[in-house]
Amino acid sequence: MNKFLEKKRTSHRFSTIQEYTPSRRDLFFMVLAFLIVAVFYFLPQQEGLSHAGQTMIGILIMAAVLWITEPIPLAVTGLLIMILQPLLGAMPAADVFSSFGNQAVFFLIGAFIIASAIEKHGLHRRIALKFLSYFEQSPRVFTLGIMCSCAFLSFIMPEHGVAALFLPIIASILIAMKIVPKQSNFGKVSMLCVAYGCSIGSLGTLIGGARNPLTIGILSDLAPPVNVTFFEWMLYAMPVVFISLPLVWLALQFSFPIEIKNVTTAKREINKQVSLTGKVQKKELMVLLILLFTIILWIAFSSYQYFGLAAIAILGSVLLFLTGCVSWKDVEQRVPWGIILLYGGAITLGMGMQSTGAGAWLAHHIFHSVSGNIYLVLLIMIVFTILLTNVMSNIGAVAILLPIGLALAPEIPGISPLLAAMLIALSGGLAFMLVIATPGNAITYSSGYFSTRDLFRAGSIANLICIAVIFIVALVYWIGVLHI
Amino acid sequence: MTNNQMFKNILIPISSEFYSKAVLEQGAFLAAKFQSTITLIYIIEEKMLNQADKLSDTYRTSVERTETKKAIIKEHRHTADAIVFDDAKRYLTNRGVPLEEKVIKGEFSNVVKTELSTKNYDLVLMGFAKGCILNYRLLDEVHIPIWVVAESSDHSMLAVCSNLAPNQKVPTVSIKLSQVLGWNLHMVYVVDTQDNVEVDEQGLRSNKKPLRELIAKGQRFVQDMEQKGIDARVVTGSLEKATGKVAEGIGANLVIVGREQKKSSTLGLPVKSVKRKMAEQCRYSILFLN
Repeated sequence: MNKFLEKKRTSHRFSTIQEYTPSRRDLFFMVLAFLIVAVFYFLPQQEGLSHAGQTMIGILIMAAVLWITEPIPLAVTGLLIMILQPLLGAMPAADVFSSFGNQAVFFLIGAFIIASAIEKHGLHRRIALKFLSYFEQSPRVFTLGIMCSCAFLSFIMPEHGVAALFLPIIASILIAMKIVPKQSNFGKVSMLCVAYGCSIGSLGTLIGGARNPLTIGILSDLAPPVNVTFFEWMLYAMPVVFISLPLVWLALQFSFPIEIKNVTTAKREINKQVSLTGKVQKKELMVLLILLFTIILWIAFSSYQYFGLAAIAILGSVLLFLTGCVSWKDVEQRVPWGIILLYGGAITLGMGMQSTGAGAWLAHHIFHSVSGNIYLVLLIMIVFTILLTNVMSNIGAVAILLPIGLALAPEIPGISPLLAAMLIALSGGLAFMLVIATPGNAITYSSGYFSTRDLFRAGSIANLICIAVIFIVALVYWIGVLHI
Repeated sequence: MTNNQMFKNILIPISSEFYSKAVLEQGAFLAAKFQSTITLIYIIEEKMLNQADKLSDTYRTSVERTETKKAIIKEHRHTADAIVFDDAKRYLTNRGVPLEEKVIKGEFSNVVKTELSTKNYDLVLMGFAKGCILNYRLLDEVHIPIWVVAESSDHSMLAVCSNLAPNQKVPTVSIKLSQVLGWNLHMVYVVDTQDNVEVDEQGLRSNKKPLRELIAKGQRFVQDMEQKGIDARVVTGSLEKATGKVAEGIGANLVIVGREQKKSSTLGLPVKSVKRKMAEQCRYSILFLN
């Protein structure tokens, strides 16, 4: 007899302690972060650096400490960055808060509303199952299907939502196949394909990860501005996606050779799940049409001065409201406002670093010894971003490194601000090695199908592959063909 | 208590982080030998759920996170039903072993400790895996024997005594066990050179003692055991490494360890949990007689 007992009292107490009582570790890192800012504020002025710039470097390091150790929510660190700049005299308050009004913020809000409609009507689930059903030939092809499906869906909605969608789908298939967690390589590869498919797919468009709009937001605020359209982003990023996906999949096949021979049970389970989704509903179809319409507008018209990315995203959202596909309640339930605040903090940090000259000063000192070698500089930027994104939120990693990368561009011939930004933005999405690196890893890890060692082993290889891919794409395609 | 009643009630906790059929096989073997009843708990690791939740808190709304949490719990319940309890049926119920099954959400060590307080259990039988986020606090916090199962097929056991334990339970229990299970018994007395103190019958540590004094005591202990017909010897070194080396040498299926109170290791650095360290390093099963 099975007794499904839930110890609610224990779990409630646990979560209460977790959420509301800062631990000694948390307090330590909070104090450390503030001490760093204080030290930089009171330190004698460094040569070639203004006092405002020096304070900005303190705020940057504080942000890095808080985003890596997370004693407070990521979004609160974003707010802290915003208020410390005017309070410490690094940036005027008006400038700090005006950079928050960047159109990329409204693009993000619009994209989240569209994603909420997709989730509400289960359109993502239908697309995922349809996609998976094309890859039922063999266990290996099936895992490739998982990876491609995750990547494809991450083109049109945030990667973390895709990971959360695929977790129950893949888990139910594995359970139906009696795949024992942690002991089956097929189970490991399937779940790792979800995590890595989402991460790689999120590089492809501006929707997949919030770091992408952050990058174009900071680029558009440069003097002179560098504007990147939806289509241009895809043009730059898609080769990295399409080269990395099969290579990382192959690496997983070599790391964990699949032990099972057929996927008949998986087919049955997918068919069962497809039948559970039922016929396409009228509103689901409407969401699909509005989504396609919005994507076409993004691709064709996002470069128009009077009809940019944000206007199109908001237009798509409004259409969803007008057709009754979403309500304000859905928006309240499914739009993560925390990420908007995190974004705000990140973009103001970038602007502050830029305008005070702190970014240029840091870039000069960090890359001084290797500035003559463009290959080495590119490689260092990619490797360092990937290492940093593995230990902190990827939007945080991009927010910290982007101002330095952009400041580096004028110093090194052959590296443009756009090139530096694309390198950092794409590398920032490749958090493969640790459970804490990205929510997608943590969500799939919670399935129990792979261990932290498996993730580290597979992630190290996948990261090495992606470093090589981005490096080669940068040299051959971005610099050689597109001349960016 | 007769030898055959040693492990009357066995608790098998299985974490959602790690499942091994070997634990159920061992459970079936012990239940047959000791006429035991088995309680099997599948623990959905709260730490994993909270970690996924905390990492997503900025990126996903509370509604979405709750949905994901529910999906993960549902998935683990299905895993428990379709895989773990199904195996348990094959290994235990079909062999006539009385079995109770539960699914509980919580932290592994806490759940086990709470369950132990509800019934008179005689043994905790569990697996062990590296690369998990769950900690094995219970190895140090539970006061009944814990059998950590590893997959092996030999039929010999190694009882470990040392200067760091009272050495009372280990000889008695290991002799009884070897009789019931029919396994060869070897005994080793480890003089730990990293922590050269002596632990008395109450479990209290003495001040540091000269190594030769500890070795002489070990030799007297070995002579006593040899008089009882047990193959015993003295070794020196660190408790974990020396035990591992001897166990490998004799191809032990089971290593029996008592209430060892090792507090310092190389260069006098403190040891956090010697039991966890032993479980991590061993390829054989370990029975901790707490």
